[in-house]
Amino acid sequence: MKALYIASTGMGAQERNVEVISNNIANMRTTGYKRQRAEFQDLLYQQITRAGSQTSDQGTLVPAGLEIGSGVRTVSTPRVMSQGSVNLTEGELDVAIRGEGFFMIQLPGGRTGYTRDGSFERDAEGTLVTSSGYPVDPGITIPGNARGVSIAPDGTVEAFIGTDTTATQIGQLQLARFVNKSGLESMGDNLFLETAASGPAQVSVPNTDGAGDLLQNYLEMANVNSVTEIADLIAAQRAYEMNARVISGADQMMQATSQLS
Amino acid sequence: MENAQLIGLSRQIALQRQLDVVANNIANLNTTGFKAEQILFEEYVMPVARDNDFPSLDQPLSYVQDWATMHDMTGGAIVQTGNELDVALNGDGFFAVQTAGGERWTRAGSFQLNNQGTLVDQSGNPVLGTGGPIQFGPDEVGITIASDGTVSSSAGAKGQLRIVEFANAQDLKREGLNLYSGGQPQANTTTRAMQGHVERSNVSGVTEMAEMIRVQRAYESAASLAQKQDDMRRNAIQRLGDANA
Repeated sequence: MKALYIASTGMGAQERNVEVISNNIANMRTTGYKRQRAEFQDLLYQQITRAGSQTSDQGTLVPAGLEIGSGVRTVSTPRVMSQGSVNLTEGELDVAIRGEGFFMIQLPGGRTGYTRDGSFERDAEGTLVTSSGYPVDPGITIPGNARGVSIAPDGTVEAFIGTDTTATQIGQLQLARFVNKSGLESMGDNLFLETAASGPAQVSVPNTDGAGDLLQNYLEMANVNSVTEIADLIAAQRAYEMNARVISGADQMMQATSQLS
Repeated sequence: MENAQLIGLSRQIALQRQLDVVANNIANLNTTGFKAEQILFEEYVMPVARDNDFPSLDQPLSYVQDWATMHDMTGGAIVQTGNELDVALNGDGFFAVQTAGGERWTRAGSFQLNNQGTLVDQSGNPVLGTGGPIQFGPDEVGITIASDGTVSSSAGAKGQLRIVEFANAQDLKREGLNLYSGGQPQANTTTRAMQGHVERSNVSGVTEMAEMIRVQRAYESAASLAQKQDDMRRNAIQRLGDANA
C-alpha cells in the first residue's frame, strides 16, 4: 500500500510546518527576528503509462499518462527578510536599520556574525557590545566621560567628551549586505552567519550602495504577523489530520484484504 | 468462475492506485502551486475470454483499468505574502525554469536569489526571462515585477519573466519538485503575474476526504465480493462431495 507511505510524508511535512510556525510565534517579541516559512515540493512520480505511448497499431496515442506521485517533502525554510516595524524605545544605544543591511558582530574565534538586533550596550571598557556582550564591528569605544551619544542615519557616532560644547566623532557604524539574505545561516542569539548560498558580505556605510539608514532610539521588532501565523497553524493542523485519516483509510483497506479467508 | 475473482481483483488494484493518488493530493495540501490529480478508469473488455458453458456466443468480460491521471488545472487560492520575490500566476500560464535536463514549467512562484544574484526557484533552478535568466547586481534594491512579468529594480529594467501557456495542459508530465515537462509552450496571452503573492495548492481537503471514503468502501465491497465467491465455491465443493458419498 503506497498510500501509507505517501500519507506519512504528508504528516512529516505538516509536522515540520507546525515546528516552523511555533518558532515564529515563540519569537514574536524578539528584536530583529525574521520569520521563516516552510516551502514544500511534490516528490517524484511513478510513470505507469507514459503520456503519448501508442495504444493501437493505427498510431493512436494515450492523451494523458498515468502518474502516481510519492508524496511531499520540505525543501527549505527560507527567512522572510521584510522590514519589521520600528518601535521607539528611547534607549540611547538602541539602533534600528531602516532598509537592507545587517550590523556586524565580532564573535569569539574570529568569526563575524550578522544581526538586525540593534539593542546595544556599553561594557566595562566602554566598548559598544550586543546584549550578549559581543563587540560590534568596527569597534567603537565610548569614553567614560562621554555624554549625549548620538548615532546619525549614516552611522556616524558622536559624543560630547567631558565639558566640550562641540561633539566629537568617536566611530562609524557599518552595515553588511548580502546578495541572497535568505541564504544566511541562523546561529541563534539573533545572529546570522555567512554561507556559500548567501554570497560574501558587502560592507558599506549606511545610506549608500543600497544599505539602509540607521535610526537611533528605535528598535526593529520581529516581522511576525500573529494573525497569519495562527491561520497557517490551523491550516497545518487540519492538513495533518487529513493525512492521518488517509493512513487509517489505507489501513482499513488492508484489513479488508487480510480478513479474506 | 475464477473470472469473477479476477475482475474483482482488477477493481481492487485500480482502487489501491486511486487511494495512492488521493494520498498524494492530501500530502501536497500545502505545496505551493501544486495541482491536484484525478485518476480515470475505463472498462477493459476482454474479447479473448472463452467459455463454452454459455449457449450463445462467448461473453465479453469487463475488467477495470486505470487509464490515465488527469491534472486538475484550476487555480489555487492566491495568498498575499508581501515577499517581493513571491509571484503568483493569475491564469493558466506557467513559469519557465532552466534545469540540467532542459526547460521545465512550474506554477510555484516562491522564488529566491542565489549567491550570484540570479532569480531561482526553491530548488535553485534559474527562472527564465524572455532573454534568459534574470540577474540582479549586488547593490540593487526594490525589485518589482509588473503584471506582464516585466522585472525591474533600482538599476532599471531587468527583463521579462517568460510565462508560457499550453493549449492542452494534460500533455504535461509531472516531474516532482513542483516541475512539469513536455507540452507545446505557446506565448502567454492572458496570464497575469502578481508580485507579493503565492498560489497555494488547489487540493480541496473535503473533496479528497469524501473521495477517500468512497474508495475505501468500494474496496471493501470488492473484497467482500471475493469472499462471497470463495464461499460459493467452497459450498459447491462440499455439497458435491456429500452427494457422492
